[in-house]
Amino acid sequence: MLKIWRTKLGYLGQETWRGLRRGGWMNWAAISTVTVLLFLFGISLQTSWQVSGLLNQLGSQLEVSVYLEPGLSGQVMRPTVLQFPEVASVEVIEKDEAWKSLLQDLGQTDIEGATEGLGQNPLVDELKVNARSAAQVPQLAQKLARVRGVDGVEYLDEALKNLIEINRGFSRLSIVVIGLLTLTAIAVITTTIRLIVISRHQEIEVMQLVGATKMWIYLPFILQGVTFGIIGAAISWGFLSGIRQFIYRLLTDQPNFLKVVSDGLRLSNSQLILLPLILLGFGSLVGLVGSLFAVRRFALR
Amino acid sequence: MPEPIDPSLQISPQPTLNPSSYTVQLRGVTKIYPKTKFGLVDVNLRLKQGSFLFVTGPSGAGKTTLMKLIYGAERPDHGEVLVAGNSVGVLRGNRLSHLRRQLGVVFQDYKLIPRWTISENIAFVLKSQGVPRDEIERRLRPTLKLVGLQKRAECFPDQLSGGEQQRASIARAIVGSPKLLLADEPTGNLDQENALQVLSILTKLNNLGITVVITTHDMHLIQVAQAPVARIYNGRLHMVNAEQAASERV
Repeated sequence: MLKIWRTKLGYLGQETWRGLRRGGWMNWAAISTVTVLLFLFGISLQTSWQVSGLLNQLGSQLEVSVYLEPGLSGQVMRPTVLQFPEVASVEVIEKDEAWKSLLQDLGQTDIEGATEGLGQNPLVDELKVNARSAAQVPQLAQKLARVRGVDGVEYLDEALKNLIEINRGFSRLSIVVIGLLTLTAIAVITTTIRLIVISRHQEIEVMQLVGATKMWIYLPFILQGVTFGIIGAAISWGFLSGIRQFIYRLLTDQPNFLKVVSDGLRLSNSQLILLPLILLGFGSLVGLVGSLFAVRRFALR
Repeated sequence: MPEPIDPSLQISPQPTLNPSSYTVQLRGVTKIYPKTKFGLVDVNLRLKQGSFLFVTGPSGAGKTTLMKLIYGAERPDHGEVLVAGNSVGVLRGNRLSHLRRQLGVVFQDYKLIPRWTISENIAFVLKSQGVPRDEIERRLRPTLKLVGLQKRAECFPDQLSGGEQQRASIARAIVGSPKLLLADEPTGNLDQENALQVLSILTKLNNLGITVVITTHDMHLIQVAQAPVARIYNGRLHMVNAEQAASERV
């Protein structure tokens, strides 16, 4: 049993390799098209992950600041705010603490004197509210502004909105470009495999006459298509990794804000594993579909 | 009406008790090509295991069509073609492939793959059927010996003479141990000496129990072989004897 499987796999490997050698430069046409497709697909996927990471990173830095009406206690309001499903955490900054910190920042050491000079502490209690995700921040801010006892709400609304919009626009554009490129890659693979099939028609004719099954005859061609996809995935993954490393290195030596951006752009460990797997899967699928189209006409005769 | 020469060969439609006892059976087979209007009309033929039959007739008479009907490359318009009890016309896909493993086909133009050595060409049949490598090695040597090509195994087809190439194609046809060997004009491109060598190999194979059907124009070959002859004329198949076939100069 093992011997039969070894023979079959050996045959399939040999025939696939033979077909690839026969393909010559057409192979590179197919592989480069798949590489470009997967590179753009990978860039799009990676960017969408990175923008999402960046939004979360910025979101945690730019949480919603909620200023309460004078006389209202932050500790009393905290449970009300925590009830919102979008809220991840709430930090209370009491007005005395904030006043002390402000005066320290202004270089004043005589806090009591400064307070007496103004008649009282002019500040109010503040809540630093962290949303669960960056996308929820604007919505959460609107809800918080409507809560009784809230005097004002602040967050970097426009920056987040713009980032989300850019990400959304980029995703839409990517879908269109990737869709067109997928069709192109399938067409190129189909043509390449079809030309290889035609160039091997003599062997195929003999195979049919000696009783080779259609699966046995055409599976190597399908494997060739999948091989194009796998090689394209490997090359595009190499490019993506190289570019990513290059950008990290550029940002690592930059000032603090860019460091924050750099942290946001970093992919998680699971994303680092998932990216090549998705590229491999997508590449193989494109190769499979392209080669199935190519052999379908011959195999169904 | 000429009589069948060999009792194992019958061309008229006669009742049979067990269809699978014949290697090849054609029952009222008609195959007409719409463009040319030529083909075969109401052909009946029964070949028992171990038969040897020449099929002759003018060019375009339908000899190759007869062969194609037997190995399933064509389907009859009417009637039935049975090989080893299986109706070839209705077989599709893997079932047809498995039936084809029971027969070998030899062509006038050899159909050897030029980039492969002779042993690779022959081994290819077994590889295509998923036979393990050691089994291929085991079968290759005696097959090459049978056709006298053991010393030419590593040559490429263009390094061989026409006769040697045809012997290689016979080796390829028999390496899978078929029950039936179909040779379509196997000596068409060969000189007399090589043609006789090919005939000698086919006779040897027939003596081993393989049913052999040969289409040919070569009357000398028919006379030397002294085997049954069927002639296709006007789309119909008739049994004739060697002298008749030679005298009619197809």
